[in-house]
Amino acid sequence: MRDNDVLDNNPYISRSALEAIHEQVFAWALSRSGYDRAIAEDLVQQAYVELLTGKARFKEWSSLRTFVFGVVQNLANSRFRRVASRMRLLREFANDAQDNHVQATEPDENRELWQAVQQLPQRQRDIVELVFCRDMSIAQASSVIGVTTGTGRVHYDRAKKALRAKLQTTEQRQEALHE
Amino acid sequence: MSEQDKNIRTALRHAQDLVEADGAPEFGRVWAAAEIRVREQRKRRYAGFAAAAAATVLVVGLLSPTDPSSPDFRYLDIDELLGSTSWSAPSDTLLPTHQIDLYQDVPMLIESTERYEGSLL
Repeated sequence: MRDNDVLDNNPYISRSALEAIHEQVFAWALSRSGYDRAIAEDLVQQAYVELLTGKARFKEWSSLRTFVFGVVQNLANSRFRRVASRMRLLREFANDAQDNHVQATEPDENRELWQAVQQLPQRQRDIVELVFCRDMSIAQASSVIGVTTGTGRVHYDRAKKALRAKLQTTEQRQEALHE
Repeated sequence: MSEQDKNIRTALRHAQDLVEADGAPEFGRVWAAAEIRVREQRKRRYAGFAAAAAATVLVVGLLSPTDPSSPDFRYLDIDELLGSTSWSAPSDTLLPTHQIDLYQDVPMLIESTERYEGSLL
């Protein structure tokens, strides 16, 4: 932690620590915003505002990354979601949606799995993404999405079952094609 | 973690990497924008406080009754004060009634010529 790096209203957070996890936070915000870069950037910016003003106060009860992910998640779930949908509508109206929107295309071999993840119920999808893609434990992921670890585990198990079934179907189809 | 779980993880990460290939916007830029937002929020809040305080002072000033017991200090002009006042004796009221000046003539008393024990009676 550098000198004068600590936030005035959040003594356990330093600017450099935030900078270190910035990319991961943005990636999470991107996922929360339906892969719209502009909305994701706004979401991250607002999360930093919450940290700067001390509205979201970190007390070292979890890792900084888990905490900031939680802030982003809460913002996306509440006021920001309305703003985001309004922005999206505005941009669609302005007909420049293609400029900022990340094309969530993926290679063919992963397409079906990716689609299966996208089709999961919201909480299952969130917990799968946090555990598989963001290297979080189930407890950390549960904390981010605001459920108990037990509930998180249930979501995780159900999601895994659904994805396994999807993978098996895909593998069987590939085997049939090879034969 | 089972083999299948590993496959799921690998596949998802691969898909995720493609989606996030453009990377995050520069931290400094996002941070600076957040700081500007905080400053604007503070400015708006202070402006709100100032407006509320001014309105309160105005309302209190307009609605509060003036205190009648409070002294009204003014400088006095001595000549003006003397010119505006007059004094009259209580006995002055007798003059218009009797049309005489009771004290104009001192009444003459008959002097005694007889003495008693060495003094005039």
